Amino acid sequence: MENITATDTAPALRRRLLFSTVLPTLIAAGLIAGSWQLSVSNGDPLALSLLLGATFGVLLQRARFCFFCVTRDFLDHRDARGLLGILAALAVGTLGYHLIFGLFVPDPAGGRLPPDAHIGPVSWVLALAAFTFGSGMTLSGSCISAHLYRLGEGAIGSVAALGGVLIGFGLGFATWNTLYLAGIDQAPVIWLPDLAGYGGSILIQLGGLGLLALALMRWHRPAGPAKGAAPASFRGRLIGQRWPTYVGGLLIGALAVMAYLRVAPLGVTAELGSLARTAGNGLGVLPDRLQGLDGFSGCATAVKNVLLSENGAFIIGLILASLASALAAGDFRPQRVTVGKAAGSLAGGVLMGWGAMTALGCTVGTLLSGIMAAAVSGWVFALFCLLGLWVTWRIRN
Amino acid sequence: MISTPTIRHIAGGIAFALFTGLAAANPNTDALVTTDWLADNLDRDDLTVIEVSVNPGKFERGHIPGAVNFRWHTDLVDTVRRDIVDRASFQTLLRDAGVSGDDEIVLYGDTNNWFAAWGAWIFDIYGVDSVRLLDGGRDKWEAEGRPLSLRPASHPQGDIEVSEADESIRAFLPEVVEVASNEAANTQLVDIRSAAEYEGRIIAPDGVDELSVRAGHIPGAVNVGWGNAVNEDGTFKSADELRAIYAQAGVDGSKPVITYCRIGERSSHTWFALSKILGYDVKNYDGSWTEYGNSVGVPVTNLAGTVWGGQ
Repeated sequence: MENITATDTAPALRRRLLFSTVLPTLIAAGLIAGSWQLSVSNGDPLALSLLLGATFGVLLQRARFCFFCVTRDFLDHRDARGLLGILAALAVGTLGYHLIFGLFVPDPAGGRLPPDAHIGPVSWVLALAAFTFGSGMTLSGSCISAHLYRLGEGAIGSVAALGGVLIGFGLGFATWNTLYLAGIDQAPVIWLPDLAGYGGSILIQLGGLGLLALALMRWHRPAGPAKGAAPASFRGRLIGQRWPTYVGGLLIGALAVMAYLRVAPLGVTAELGSLARTAGNGLGVLPDRLQGLDGFSGCATAVKNVLLSENGAFIIGLILASLASALAAGDFRPQRVTVGKAAGSLAGGVLMGWGAMTALGCTVGTLLSGIMAAAVSGWVFALFCLLGLWVTWRIRN
Repeated sequence: MISTPTIRHIAGGIAFALFTGLAAANPNTDALVTTDWLADNLDRDDLTVIEVSVNPGKFERGHIPGAVNFRWHTDLVDTVRRDIVDRASFQTLLRDAGVSGDDEIVLYGDTNNWFAAWGAWIFDIYGVDSVRLLDGGRDKWEAEGRPLSLRPASHPQGDIEVSEADESIRAFLPEVVEVASNEAANTQLVDIRSAAEYEGRIIAPDGVDELSVRAGHIPGAVNVGWGNAVNEDGTFKSADELRAIYAQAGVDGSKPVITYCRIGERSSHTWFALSKILGYDVKNYDGSWTEYGNSVGVPVTNLAGTVWGGQ
């Protein structure tokens, strides 16, 4: 929250209070009331989804947990702090997920996979989809989850990007059957605990994350302390300033574990995919059957038969809570969008939508939840997504 | 002063009322257990509780404390042939679950106990007695807010010996075709699918993968949807109610019965009601409509005249 100064006039003060305190409080109260109402009318999973989505939205917004932004920070300025935050989330999530897996699948070598975990087939199609997703991130300026929380910050360009994502999902459905037979149906679904046991899997995962962290710390060029900044109060640090990405990362790792235990792994594209699939079916432009799709775990995209799905409640919570968080912090700043920028966002959105559908999820579902679940598909997605981002970034620069 | 014969009369009347009241509340204690009974008996060493749910992850995300998980897709069917689990695998499964010869077993599951009823049918085929269904299944247990556990149960290895498969409660295609062709007129077919499927207006409900190329039903079958057998809370109706419902469709136990549905799991539920609660002579046709409606040269009754529109 910006400091209130003596020069503020009474109407400006009232306006400031309305936006930074009253509205966020009303939104938070609305989310709690909505969750309570959902728990009464629809049961716990839907109510929990709304609250988990809201918490995720606050964490994304406060910690600027945007996969593209933190990678660009590193590419442009050798600032590795954001990427280290993502590694922190993955490390906490890895430990928590493995703790739960021991309950869900006592014998990991039996060939069975833990329920709902985002462990997908590893194929060239996944690599291509991840590369395309990464390119789309660079073109549109954010990944899908960041566009969702940026909606809460008043980013009008994100509307174009998310529109593009819906179109991209439609294209993904249209090409799915061909790609499924060309490269997905025979592809192995590789789960590290199946190969190395839970102990080995934790060692491989944390070892890999540790090596990446060491490399990033070596390349990191520390930014100097901000000049002239007065030490912030606790309230200022909590609400006014952005949180360090690692704080968001640690909390998001813990949130991911809770979400997997009680509802489903974190993911932000299932609802968007369902909207696109239902619309495409309604227009009669999609195949009647999407071969094998429903057999894979990931951000599954069922035809909508309920108004509010768990993922839908999650997304609504995410957007509303990031709006409340942005208002309270003074980060809500709607900006004009030029036609050129909107076109770039739309095109990037289309690439991300196609990539997310074909890869069975995006940076949250396939990368974050997938790697936490020790899925090789998560690591492959991360590698090729980064590659796509970097290549497009190089071309643009 | 009340005379002794009068007291005896009153006591007898109370006993009779209690007995009939209990009988109405729980049609056949040999076949079903209530959620209350299970909650009170969970700690018994000679009781094995087994969940058979169809939705993956249901068991793992919380189950009746101490229950063992049997996966319908891989544990109770043959994963290569279209067949039920073979004897050796089933025996291993039971021993790993800690079942010994004289143990009692309670089965329960999601989706109205359909797949748990399939389980009960498999147990019957392999001659394992002392098997009962939790009346109302998992849904009722959850609706009553009873505890669920995340911990996998660990049991000492059991030593149960199961019998060779008893195929007398299982119907195969040739027998069903005989009935349909009126060559076995003494047998009654019960189709438990929806009226729309039975009449041939649709081939299968929306969203299912298993399809037939023909719509309709097996000639001579009567349609009594599986849902007719249960109350709103998923528990089975009383034996008297069940007897009346099936008698109305001409199924009164005087002839042998074959039940079928689309893939054979919901028909297990009706098989359970008819054979275990009413004591009729019943076979389950696990090939069901996905086999019959795809078979070449078999008679089909297609009231709606729907023609397969596939390419």
